[in-house]
Formats: sequence, structure tokens, C-alpha cells
Amino acid sequence: MTRNGPFALLFNALFVLFMAAPLVVVIGVSLTPEGFLEFPPSGISLRWFRAILDNPDFIEAGWTSLYLGVAAASLSTALAVPAALAIGRRRFPGRDLLLATFMSPLTVPTIVLGIAFLRFLSQIGLSGTFLGLTLCHAVIITPFILRLVLASVTGLDRTVEKAAESLGASDFTVFRRITLPMIMPGVVGGWVLAFITSFDELTVTVFIVNPSTTTLPVRLFNHITQTTDPLVASISTVVILFTVGLMFVIERLYGLDRLLVGGEAR
Amino acid sequence: MAFLELKGLTKRFGEIAAVENFDLSVERGEFVSLLGPSGCGKTTTLQMIAGFETPSAGSITLEGRDLLAIKARSRGIGIVFQSYALFPHMTVAQNVEFGLEMRKIAAPERRQRVAEALALVHLEALADRYPRAMSGGQRQRVALARALVIRPEILLLDEPLSNLDAKLREEMQLELRGIQQRMGVTTILVTHDQTEAMALSDRVAVMHRGRLVQVARPLEAYEHPRSDFVSSFLGKTNRLEGKVVERAGERAGDLCRVAVGETVFAAPAPPPEIGKDARPRVIVSVRPEKVEFRAAGAGLVDGTVAARIFLGDHWLYQIETPLGVLLVTRQNVGPAEVETGGSVGLAWDAAQVRLLPFEETA
Repeated sequence: MTRNGPFALLFNALFVLFMAAPLVVVIGVSLTPEGFLEFPPSGISLRWFRAILDNPDFIEAGWTSLYLGVAAASLSTALAVPAALAIGRRRFPGRDLLLATFMSPLTVPTIVLGIAFLRFLSQIGLSGTFLGLTLCHAVIITPFILRLVLASVTGLDRTVEKAAESLGASDFTVFRRITLPMIMPGVVGGWVLAFITSFDELTVTVFIVNPSTTTLPVRLFNHITQTTDPLVASISTVVILFTVGLMFVIERLYGLDRLLVGGEAR
Repeated sequence: MAFLELKGLTKRFGEIAAVENFDLSVERGEFVSLLGPSGCGKTTTLQMIAGFETPSAGSITLEGRDLLAIKARSRGIGIVFQSYALFPHMTVAQNVEFGLEMRKIAAPERRQRVAEALALVHLEALADRYPRAMSGGQRQRVALARALVIRPEILLLDEPLSNLDAKLREEMQLELRGIQQRMGVTTILVTHDQTEAMALSDRVAVMHRGRLVQVARPLEAYEHPRSDFVSSFLGKTNRLEGKVVERAGERAGDLCRVAVGETVFAAPAPPPEIGKDARPRVIVSVRPEKVEFRAAGAGLVDGTVAARIFLGDHWLYQIETPLGVLLVTRQNVGPAEVETGGSVGLAWDAAQVRLLPFEETA
């Protein structure tokens, strides 16, 4: 373990400050007893957290976002794992094309994607439905999962699978008992990243929701365009705490650094 | 019918033949090494036996059964890889147990056999460890236990000791040989390390450029190599280019005479591979330990000691002679016989000279 020098420490401290400052402001604002956005807060009050309970449409939108994130991340993981195995370890015609296709949502401007999805969904009769939303989100978040799974697949020692095969394991057993556990950090890391991306998604989603499938970011966006009360801040704080909690659970289970950076197995 | 028979085994990758027309018979319980430099096709041969590569031609039979018709997972072959290839997310015991689970063996018997296998490699105490918390030597033992616990028909070892340091490698060699003999399991070892091959095997199969060039007991291959390549690859040798100048007589044991440059000395009658020419070109090989020191002028050739290297149990001398630089080794059983810079005569018993078919380069 090498120690950081003074410049590195200063840089890291400034970086953390830069990243954390908006969070501190949001959390600070959410604690205000006043009826307007105020920082630093003039007092500490949970008034705006109680207000969340009086706004069931926000809670409902929260549940929609949660279900949507889980569904989209799971669907896209189910696609990305076999894709990563094929792309990561085989050479076949169209391999680069396949990879480029999967990664393309990253390169297309999201607003263009939003318009395209809107048109496409109404064409196939899924506009405004939860299923349509799930499919669109799956497309947007697949690059994140694919990247992470691909990284773990590429580092895989294939002789381990050969050893399992020679011991009598069928192809499916090798995948279930050997390959999948070995790439699990990448799969879980990808799922979490994808879930968070989906949970946060606004630009595309705003085009394709209808009142019955409004997600939390869209609901918040609509709210801000009309009023600016600290309710937005208190809801954001809840979301931040939820994300931190999720990260904490993942860290306990797998080790965050290993998932997102691809470090050495512990 | 031999236990394991490879016949005309060939593997081509595009135009390149990695293995060509490979024949080998292995008896039950025998330990055979496939020995050769990297790229000689030894690993490809092993992969074909294991079922990970499909031969382009030829056959592999095990007790007369066609092995090529059987999938890798059903061949009942145990493999130990150079990288160990342990399952990182399983404990030592789970690693070893995996093959038994695949065979649907009941849990109580599984536990007993895992315990036996771990005892065999002296790892009983580490059954619940994960591979990442183990040393290279320990991982190697786990890999060996995992391969042996299924009671394989054949044990394949792919450079299993190459990642270990020299001292540990020697210990593992002895242990590996002991376990193999106790279990009586037919074993094929792939290695580029000729000492390892000779130390472990009943027979070594030397491969060169995809072909089998000689298969023999280690002593036989070392003492009576059939080609320049085998002679140079197994141990050290003094390789000289020469010419037979006087053919041997008709009687067995008659000697011929060879000339290397200006120096002429006696050698056993050339083997039939050398042909019927009256004065054929040959490769003359004399092992460094077969060369003896004489007083200057009293040997077959005179030289100057260019270097003397102390290697613990023996000395290695480099002697400059009209034949080129000759290597001489001497057991370290007393003070060194000659000093650097000294003049010395070299001699060898005619029976220790080997004549091999001439090849441009080894």
C-alpha cells in the first residue's frame, strides 16, 4: 500500500468535496422548517418528510421507478450475460457489429432516443405501458451491464471451465456452477449500475410515460416546473439514502471496489 | 493391445500441422512424458486425449474403445493444469468434491473420498480454505487431489510443476511419482523440462515439430539418442560435426574411426540410420560427464581451461580445443582437478561416443 503525498491528498479532498457538496445542500434544504428552498436551513424540521406522506402520487411514482428499475435491470442482465460470453470469448462474423449495436444507446443523444421510442412504442401499441417503459429502459442500460460483464468474462481463465468439464460437468452445469459464479461480481455490479441508471432516467422517460406509469424523476420534474417547495429536496434525500443503503448492502455482499473497478477477488 | 493407443494422430490448424502422424502405446499404470520444446505439439496431443481438441486424423483408443466418440466430460480423465485451474469460489473440499457430485455419488461416500484424496496430498488441515489463501504448491496438491478423486482411467498432467520454484518442484516430483505408483494410475505428463521428464517417467516420448522423434526409457533415450535433436535436448552434450573415415569391421563390437577436423578417434560402429556411404558425415556426441582429464599431450585432444564453474555437487569446465569449446563435468568429490588457464588433455572411452545422422542444425 503506497501512501498518498500531500498533493494527492489535497486533490482527493477537493474531489470528494466537489462530489459531496450538492448532496449536502440537498439534504440541508430538506430539513428546513420554511416553505421555500433555503440553505443553510434556519432550523431543523422533518416537516417536508412528513409532507411526502401527504403526496401519495410521489410514493406511487417511487414504486413505479423501483419496479421499473428491477424489471429493466434484470431483463437487460439476462440479455447482456450471454452476449458478453459470446463477444468476450469467441471470434465470429458480426461480432464487432453486435458489440457496437449493444453499446449504441450510449452514443445516440438521449433526446433522440426518447422521440424514437415514443414513435416506436405507439407503432407497436405499447405506448404509455409499463412493458413499453421496461423495454426502453432495458435498451438504455444494457451498455452499462455489458461493459462490466465483458470485463469479468475477458479475465476468466478458461482452463477452469475445462477442468470442470473433464470432471464430468455438462455445458449447462459448467455455466451454472463455474462460469456464472466467477463472473458474478461483474453481473451484480452491472445490475446495480443499470438499476440506478434506470431509477434516475429522465430525458428519455419523459417522452414515453403517461399519467399511470409516471416514474419518480418525471414526477419530480413536473413538480419543479410548477412550484419550488422543499418537498423536492426531501424526496431527493430519501432517494439518496436509499441508494447509499443499496451500495452498503452490495459492499457487504461483494465489495464495491471489486464490482465497479474489477479489483482482485477477496 | 495396449491400454491407451494413439495411432496416426494428426492435428492441423489451417495449413500448419501442430501434431503429425503421432503413434504411441501406453501400458496400464505406466508413466509416460511428452517432452519437447514449446510449440512441439505436446500440449495439443494432451488436449486431444482430454477431448478439448478434435484430431484432424488418426485414432485414440482406451482398452480398445474409441475415445474420440466420447465427449470430454464422459472420458473419465483427470487433468492437472499448469495454472492449477481451481474453482476460486469453492473451498478446497468443494473443489475436490465437484467431480464426485457430477458422478452423482451419495454424500457420505463423497465426504469419505474427499477426505482420502486430501490425505493423499497432505492437505487434510486445509479442507475449508479457499484457493486464493494458499501457496502455489498447495494449490497444485488440490488440483492433483481433485483429478485423482474421480479415480480416473488416465491422469493428464500439463506442465504441472512449471510454476513452482526449483526446490519445491523437486519435492513435488518425488511426491507425484510416489502417489502415481501407489495409485497405479496411468499418467501422461507434458513438460519441456527434460530433468523432470526423466525423473518421473517410465518412458519419455520426445517430440519435435509435431512429430514423435523417440520414445524410450529415460536412461536409454539419454544414452542412446537416435537423433541429434534428442541428444541435444536431453541433458548437455558436446556436439561435433565429423566424418566416418574408416568403417568398422564385421564383428559385433568392432569400432570405426571418425574425424572431427584434424582429430581422429575411435567410435562404435555407426547405426543403420547413417546409411551405407563409405565416408558419411555424422554428428558426434560425447556427454560432458564421459570426458576425462589427462595430462596435456596424453589424451585424444589437448585444450586450455577457459572457465570453471562451481555448481555445488559438480564442476562444469569449458575447455577450448581444436574441436571447439568442449564441456566437461566432474563430481565434486575432492579438490578441483584443473585450474582456469591450465593446459589439459581430454580423453573418452570409444564406447561412450555416439554417432548420429547428420543434420544441419539441431
